[in-house]
Amino acid sequence: MKELKNKIEKYKTQFNREITLIQDKKGLQELRNLFLSRKKGYVSLLFEDFKTLKPEERPEAGKIINELKEYVQTKLQVLQEEFSTAKKVEKTYDLTLPGKDVYLGSPHPIVHFQQEIEQIFLTMGFAIEEGPEIETDYYNFEALNFPQHHPARDDWDTLYIKDDLLLRTHTSPVQIRVMEKKKPPIRIIIPGKVFRKETPDPTHLPMFFQVEGLVIDVGITFAHLKGTLEYFLKALFNENIKIRFRPSFFPFTEPSAEVDIECTVCDGKNEDCRVCGGSGWIEILGAGMVDPQVLKNVNIDPEKHSGFAFGMGIDRTAMFAFQISDMRNFYENDLRFIRQVLRK
Amino acid sequence: MKISLSWLKQYIDLDISTSELVDTLNNIGLMVDDWEENENDTILDIETYANRPDTLGHLGVARELAVALGRPLKEQSWPLIELNEKTSDLINIKILDEDLCPRYCGIIVRGVHVGPSPYWLREKIKAIGLSPINNVVDVTNYVLFSTAQPIHAFDLDKLTGRKIIVCKAKKSESLISLEGDTLALSSDMLVIADEVKPVALAGVIGGQETSVSNETQDVFIESAYFDPVSVRKTSKKLGIKTEASYRFERGADESFPPQAALMAASILTQMGGKATKGILDIYSEPRKPKTIVLRNHRVAGLLGLEIQEEFIEETLSKLGFQIERTQKGVWQVKSPPFRVDVEREADLIEEIVRFYGYDKIPAKLPPFETLEPALSPKRKAFHKLRQILFHYGFDEVVNFSFVNEEKEAKLQSGRKPIEVRNPVSSKASILRTTLIGGLLENISWNLNRGAEGVHVFETGNVYFWQNDSCTEQCMLALATTGRVGTAHWQSRNEETDFFRLKGACEAFMNYLRYDPYIFREEDHTYFEPGHSLSLHFKGEPVGFMGLVRRDILDSYSIEDEVWAAEFKLEMLLEKQAKKFQYRPVTRFPGISRDISFIASQEVTYQKIKAAVEKCSIPYLNQFYIYDRFSGPSIPKGKVSLSLRFVFCHPQRTLLAEEVDALQERIIKTLKAEFNFQLREGGKIDK
Repeated sequence: MKELKNKIEKYKTQFNREITLIQDKKGLQELRNLFLSRKKGYVSLLFEDFKTLKPEERPEAGKIINELKEYVQTKLQVLQEEFSTAKKVEKTYDLTLPGKDVYLGSPHPIVHFQQEIEQIFLTMGFAIEEGPEIETDYYNFEALNFPQHHPARDDWDTLYIKDDLLLRTHTSPVQIRVMEKKKPPIRIIIPGKVFRKETPDPTHLPMFFQVEGLVIDVGITFAHLKGTLEYFLKALFNENIKIRFRPSFFPFTEPSAEVDIECTVCDGKNEDCRVCGGSGWIEILGAGMVDPQVLKNVNIDPEKHSGFAFGMGIDRTAMFAFQISDMRNFYENDLRFIRQVLRK
Repeated sequence: MKISLSWLKQYIDLDISTSELVDTLNNIGLMVDDWEENENDTILDIETYANRPDTLGHLGVARELAVALGRPLKEQSWPLIELNEKTSDLINIKILDEDLCPRYCGIIVRGVHVGPSPYWLREKIKAIGLSPINNVVDVTNYVLFSTAQPIHAFDLDKLTGRKIIVCKAKKSESLISLEGDTLALSSDMLVIADEVKPVALAGVIGGQETSVSNETQDVFIESAYFDPVSVRKTSKKLGIKTEASYRFERGADESFPPQAALMAASILTQMGGKATKGILDIYSEPRKPKTIVLRNHRVAGLLGLEIQEEFIEETLSKLGFQIERTQKGVWQVKSPPFRVDVEREADLIEEIVRFYGYDKIPAKLPPFETLEPALSPKRKAFHKLRQILFHYGFDEVVNFSFVNEEKEAKLQSGRKPIEVRNPVSSKASILRTTLIGGLLENISWNLNRGAEGVHVFETGNVYFWQNDSCTEQCMLALATTGRVGTAHWQSRNEETDFFRLKGACEAFMNYLRYDPYIFREEDHTYFEPGHSLSLHFKGEPVGFMGLVRRDILDSYSIEDEVWAAEFKLEMLLEKQAKKFQYRPVTRFPGISRDISFIASQEVTYQKIKAAVEKCSIPYLNQFYIYDRFSGPSIPKGKVSLSLRFVFCHPQRTLLAEEVDALQERIIKTLKAEFNFQLREGGKIDK
């Protein structure tokens, strides 16, 4: 019993010493564990000793152990509250300094713009298809209703690898590849790189991106072509943009159309407008109803199915959308240019 | 093509404003690219289409305007001052190849005084941007730009034997052109010959010898129809493109040669010449127009718009089509001879809607049907990959597919390059066989412009010969050099290194769930020996990464170190990713143990990892290296490695003694395998 009393006295002294040293909640928890931990805390150990005492000694022993427990608990509680009450936090930093800047990479403007275009067509239920960049004369020209010696081929200045092998001049050959494989209904867009024999200047490059669209089904009309492209152009530019369809010529569509949008830079009011040349309109898309000969070439009966196709230069459209005056900027890959897509 | 407004007015009355005129032309598909107004004329620049040779003259444009504006074309008359001699008395015309020349007309104008044209003609010629030459040449040009029918004038006296023979050239014959070039002819070229030699290249260019000069007295006017393909082949082969060949290769009006000849002769007789009697017209098989069936329901079916039958009939007949109704809503239509582009029902429908107005077609969305999933797994993976690389601070670039052959050779991609036969420049004569070259160009460009660091990636095709076929393969390449971002007030921006590159690669492999993959130390031509890894996915090699060779960097003038990687992207994206499947998360706390060793530098982490994995330690949830260093406190040739092992039991709390035993097993294995020395307590001795 005396031994117990001494122990309690010793613990109490130790507690009183240690509690003055506590700096934070962590220290508080450590001290609490030391005394009150269920398994190895001092109080628990005292109760172990308690079990060895004679029955008549137990009531007093129990009382003094509990007194210590309460003493410790109360003191710890007070300290706990002291720690918890909000102290005024000292301000040691300048809140106006810039925040941490995580360095993120930027998408390339053309790829970024291509994805915006894809997104619009995906919401209209179009699937995305791709095809080879090295093509045969058949897919690039012949199947698209460009006869072997037709001057229409001059409008597509071609880079050749061999007589029959070339770098595709448009994404249209993929139309043929898809129609050969798949039966209607077909509703696809085909984005990709195309190649032309062009000497680089601000508006011409030997390589650029195009996106092609193709819809084939029963009962597809020119009205559907107009509806689709109007929806697309309004989504890409703005809801109020003016759109004009006018007759044109492509070997693989009949009737064919060129689609212009109003020049939002000058609203058609500046005769010397750098963007539209004063006409007030910008040529943005070529389109038309798929030529019956093209359908026949892929064994689709033009009496049963009809469809429309359209094609757009992604670079050219991006130039207009972002007000970039020189197409070559896209392929210099100056990071000061590219990273503008990412952030201001 | 340049169109003069005053010239047009010879064919049609035009009292509308220029902008009204431009709109009218645009609406029917004659796109006015630009126009210029001067004191007495307006010149329109009209875009030409390969299928509309009929609009390559003022008459054709007037014809279109007449229909669009609902006005008549003015009648033209071409009176002649005739001699008593018959044309056939003075010249003999023979066509030996009627396939390539189905029609040939000629007339002679005698006593022409070759000299400057009258004022009105010179003005016309100047209006369309040409220079007047002499009255005969100016007249031929005038006819061409009026009617789109090219004609040619020969000096009659220089035609040996007064003969015109239309035939194919003989092998090794030659002709000195109007421009003074000696043309080597081949036997597939159609020529106009006299009794002894070729005097003109049919439909392309005349010969110098028989051309009209100041001494010329009598002029023979040729007005013919030549086969478009033949003219095009000859013009391409010799590289000669003329106003005549441009029109013939698109298809001239087979009915028109006599009228063009008459027109030329008429104007020349007004200038003092006298024409022979009768146009010689060799035309043995006049072309019969094809009958096209037009159905009203197809008009609506293709356009999505009902057009009144009266409008259809009226428009087509005004445009010169013969239209005959065979039953309700069905017509038989014959094209006028100048409309070589209209052969099918769809072509007729375009004619109708051109004049009805594209703006009157309603806009409707196509009926929606669910098709296949719009975004393929491959594309989804591609998008995710890009996001991960952006997250790692790599900017996306797009380079040209053409590269400099010499520079490309230095890279030694091991792929046989494909040459472009007619490249845009000799410095871009082959297709790239690797993406690395482009990225190095980008690094060089940006460092030269003050960038502190460049971290870029590109996805795209490389191209090469595989056996005898052209192959294209979609690749992913990355390159990194210099500092990342700009300095922050809390920390200096860090310098990139190999592990930044490797981290990005591991990240996309992990986040795309590509499993299992492994790196191997393996040399590659792009990289310094001993400084590169290969990546293997599902047992197949998919790419390399490493420190770019010094001599390569020198050829791009890059002084800094560059780490780069190239992967076969298509191969990666086409493989199945490991499916996401939930594993229960244990509710019991894990126990972690840190162990530090002194090891030989030769022992790679990959070997340690393999050894630990081989042991199959139970409850070992994860382990990783969290410290590695060498220095004065560590013996030479050795490193200190600190590994953390985390143990976890799914159903209960592990006991310390259990973990002790497992830890002991690991230590024993590593000591035995690699001769590791344990560093007690995991603390570093100072």
